[in-house]
Amino acid sequence: MELTDAGLIARVLADDDQHAFGELVRRHQSSVRGLLRQLTHTDIALADDLAQETFLRAYKNIRSFRGEARFSTWLYRIAYNCFREDARRRKELVGVDEERLQAEHDPRTVDPGLLHDLMHALSLLPLHERTAVVLCCQNGLSHDEAARVLDIPLGTVKTNVLRGREKLKRTLAAWGPN
Amino acid sequence: MIDDDTLDRQLREAAPYIDDEGFTARVMAKLPVARREPRWLRAMVLLGVTVLGSGVAYLLSGGGRFVREGMVQFSNFPIWLLLVFAFGCGLVIGAFAVIFAIRKTPEVRDLVGLRF
Repeated sequence: MELTDAGLIARVLADDDQHAFGELVRRHQSSVRGLLRQLTHTDIALADDLAQETFLRAYKNIRSFRGEARFSTWLYRIAYNCFREDARRRKELVGVDEERLQAEHDPRTVDPGLLHDLMHALSLLPLHERTAVVLCCQNGLSHDEAARVLDIPLGTVKTNVLRGREKLKRTLAAWGPN
Repeated sequence: MIDDDTLDRQLREAAPYIDDEGFTARVMAKLPVARREPRWLRAMVLLGVTVLGSGVAYLLSGGGRFVREGMVQFSNFPIWLLLVFAFGCGLVIGAFAVIFAIRKTPEVRDLVGLRF
């Protein structure tokens, strides 16, 4: 029978079981790397470096995981903090402005395929809106969980998701309801 | 215009599963070496070092002569000074205990808004 995340965490805590932690990494690597790829504008190498740092921090601080939130939510929070620290170091913590977003709306420059366009449009959102949309709409976190991950008020998360969605819809308006 | 549900569904579909491709192995290779020594060994080492230190201190202090003389001098102090001294010691130890408790208890740490 496959152990739950809680069971694996208990093994790590009790016996410093690195195999159990490895299983946790295997389970969550895709979503954590996916989130970081979105945050880093699909800079895969940087995203994977940050994901690696995320899991190393998670291992070192696993005793501070209290089990109140899902393990994945806790990981997202660490991942987001890793990204923020790295962005501060690189002084790149800036969003894309509305003009750039509008400029990218030109249908002649849009590649075929809704999903491709969607990811492209997503990458053009300002960082705070992109992060909220990725967490809530793509990874299925509740607004409350996203607020905890991002360490911002619940209302701000709701606003960011709403604005992000509206911009995505405007960008993809040409695709119609289906 | 696309509705919210369709947008969310498309967003989820647009996020493909990322194959591990050695990622987990790279993380595992960077994990700090797991502590393997049993807890009783750690306790025994601490106890041994404490006993050894006490023995050395006893021998170096002339069979505890300095300690005895210190206690005699201490007993000649006025009672109020001893009380102040005891209170001060309690205060220092209590402060260290509170700091240790905050560091070890996430709930308290969150309550007081501290980050360690």
